[in-house]
Amino acid sequence: MRHALRVIGAEAFKQHRRMFGGPLVVFSMLIWPALQLAITYYTMLPLLETPGIGERWPVAAQPVRLLAFLATGAFAYMFYFSLVQSAWHFSFERISGTMELLFLSPASRFALVLANGTGALVQNTWLAGCFAVAAATASGSLHVAHPGMYAVAALALVIPALAWGTFLNSLLLFSRDSAFLYTLLDDPLWFVAGVRLPLFAMPVVIKAIGLAFPLTSSLAVLRGALLDAEPLSGVAGPLGLLGVLCLLLVAGTATLLRIGEARAQRTGSMQLY
Amino acid sequence: MVTAWATLKRNWLVTRRAYPWSYFIGTLGPGIFTVVVALLSYRAIGGGRVSAWFGASSGTSDYLGYVTVGAAALMFTTRMVLWVAKAQITEQREGTLESQMLTPAMRLPYLLGVAAQAFITSILELCCLLGTALLLGVRLPVPDPVSFAAAILAAFVAVFGLSIPISAIMISAGEAHITQNTLFCVVGLLCGFTFPAALLPAPLTFLGELLPATAAMRVLRAATLHAAPIQQVTGDLLICLALGCLYAAVGLLVLPHAERRAITRGASA
Repeated sequence: MRHALRVIGAEAFKQHRRMFGGPLVVFSMLIWPALQLAITYYTMLPLLETPGIGERWPVAAQPVRLLAFLATGAFAYMFYFSLVQSAWHFSFERISGTMELLFLSPASRFALVLANGTGALVQNTWLAGCFAVAAATASGSLHVAHPGMYAVAALALVIPALAWGTFLNSLLLFSRDSAFLYTLLDDPLWFVAGVRLPLFAMPVVIKAIGLAFPLTSSLAVLRGALLDAEPLSGVAGPLGLLGVLCLLLVAGTATLLRIGEARAQRTGSMQLY
Repeated sequence: MVTAWATLKRNWLVTRRAYPWSYFIGTLGPGIFTVVVALLSYRAIGGGRVSAWFGASSGTSDYLGYVTVGAAALMFTTRMVLWVAKAQITEQREGTLESQMLTPAMRLPYLLGVAAQAFITSILELCCLLGTALLLGVRLPVPDPVSFAAAILAAFVAVFGLSIPISAIMISAGEAHITQNTLFCVVGLLCGFTFPAALLPAPLTFLGELLPATAAMRVLRAATLHAAPIQQVTGDLLICLALGCLYAAVGLLVLPHAERRAITRGASA
C-alpha cells in the first residue's frame, strides 16, 4: 500500500509539474466546455415552450432547471474526457522513450496507470470543479435530499471516472495509435451517455449501448442526487450498475496490463510509436 | 494565378494520397450528432413542435431544417479553417515555410489555391453529412439556385477572410490546437449556426455581427429554407462580402510580421 502511494505521489507530482497552469487545461477544461454548454442550451431552447412540455419533460419547464441539467452533463463529461486526454498524454511516454523505463522499474503496474489517471484528473478538473460549485450555489439549482448525498454524488463521479481512466491507460499498452481515443470517445461518448439529451428521448438501442459506459450511470446518480433530491434508494439502480462496471473495468485493466506487458516483452514494441 | 493553380494541384495530390481521415471523422461526427440530437429532441421534447417565438426570431418554423443547414455550415467552416488557417503552420511543421518565404510567390494566390482545394474537398464531405441527414428523415426544401450560389460564394469569402488573420495568429503563437478549437466554439456560439443569434445577450449578438459568418448564415438560410430570390438577400450578401474582404485585408497586412516572428522563433511542434 505504501509502495502504491509513493507511486501515486510521484506521478501526481509529475502531472502537476507538466500541466498545472498550462493554457491547454484552462481552455479544454473550462472555456470550451462552457461555450459548448451555451451552444447546446440555446439550440434546445426553441423546443421548450411547446404545448404539453410539462408532461413530456418536467425539467424543461424552467430554463434554469434545463441549464442545470445540461451543466451537470457537461461537468461529468469533462471528468471523463479529462481521462481520455490523460490517456492520450500517456502515449507521449512512448514518444519520449520513458514508457519502457516505467515498466523496467519495480513500480506496481496497476498503481502506475491508476496514478497517471488520478494525477491528470486532479490537475484537469480542480478549476472547473470550483466554478461548478460556485455556479451551483449561486444559482440555487441544487435540490438535495440530505447532505450525505453530496458525498454519494461525488464518489459516483470520481471513482468510476478513475476506473475508466486506468482502463484507457492500460489499453494504450497495446496500441501505438492514440488518436482513435479522441475520435471514438469524444462525440459518440457524449451522445450515448445522455450528456446533452435526456435518456427518455433516445431509442432503446442507444440507451442499451449507453449503459455499458460508466458515464451514463454516473450522470444518472449525479442528476438524481443533486437536482431531483432523490434519496439513496432512488439512485440505487445506477449505483449498483456503477459498482459492477467498476469491478469489470478494474478486472479488465489487470488482465490487459498482464497480457500487454508479456506481449511487449516478446515484441519489444514499447518504444515504438 | 500560377501560384494558386500549383498550390491547388499539390494539395489535391497530397490529399488524394494521404487523406486525413481522423480530421474528416472529427468534423463529420459533431455535424451528424448535432442533427441527430436535434431530431431526437424535436420529437421527444418538443413533441414534434417548436415554440411560437422561434418562427419570429428565425424566420422559419422548420426547426430540423434550420439546425441541419446550420450544422452543415458549421462543418464547412471548421473544415475550411482547418485547411486554410492551418496551411502555413503545417508548412512550418513540415519544414517548408522557409522555402515558401524564398519563392517570389505572393501569399494571396497561395492561400486561394489552398482554399480552392479545401472548398472542393469540403463540399464532397458536406454531401456525406447532408446524405446522412436525409437518411435520418430530415427534409430540406429546394433552394433558389441563384441565391444559393451567391450564399455559397458568401460563405467561401467569409471563411476565407476569417482564416487569414487566424493563420497569422497561429504561426506567430506557434500553436494551432487551442486557437482552432476556441475559434470553433466562439463561431458556433456567436454566428447563429444552430440557433438564432438574437437569443444571445445583446453584447454577444453585436460581437456576432462583427464576424462575416453571421451574415453568410442569413444568406444561406434565406436561400435554402425560404428559396428567397437574390434581391431579398443583397443587403446581407454585401455585408458578408465586405466583412470577409476586410478580414482578409487585415490578415494579409499582419501576415508578413507574423511570418517574421515565426521564422525568428524557429519551428515548433
